[in-house]
Amino acid sequence: MATSTYLSNPVVTVNAVDLSDQCSGATVNQTFAQLSNTAFGDTAMKYTAGLQENSITLDLFWSTAATETYATLKALVGTTTNVTIKGTSGATSATNPLGTLTGGFLAELPVVYTVGELATCSVTFNGGTFAYSES
Amino acid sequence: MALRIISERLGELGAIYEPQEGINVEALIAGGFLEDTHTAPAKSAKNKTKAPDAANTTQE
Repeated sequence: MATSTYLSNPVVTVNAVDLSDQCSGATVNQTFAQLSNTAFGDTAMKYTAGLQENSITLDLFWSTAATETYATLKALVGTTTNVTIKGTSGATSATNPLGTLTGGFLAELPVVYTVGELATCSVTFNGGTFAYSES
Repeated sequence: MALRIISERLGELGAIYEPQEGINVEALIAGGFLEDTHTAPAKSAKNKTKAPDAANTTQE
């Protein structure tokens, strides 16, 4: 069984800014609401797709240096933007698809300061449309 | 308004930025990734200051 192991190559952009070197984890959720269209006469539940409910969560180091995490995110809170993620830095292809969340809403910017550790923030972009591109 | 890239995180330095749909350009400017080419110092201004020196050099 072939699997994909990602060590350090994924590429993440937020609002077109490459934050890969500040990102330690990412979770993509591409979800459709399932609407029941089960009717009389059916012998099993049936569903059809409703609205998309997509999100991308990024685990970032909280750097306040110029053009780093803080500079990228500070003006995005309460607005929508695009977030992209790709498994490797190579060309986009069928085996290296580019996922794009278009119009994701950033509701909050939670920062975690812990003694003896690097400051981090975990941001979630909710809503918008999500699609994979293979070219 | 033309926008110039001033951070490698966004693209090639000095290149004119063409935002894709959905990109928050104001946030990029606020974050120091872009600058308006109309407000940035013009390169031609430097040439004007150098012109007199260049003329003197040729006379000597």
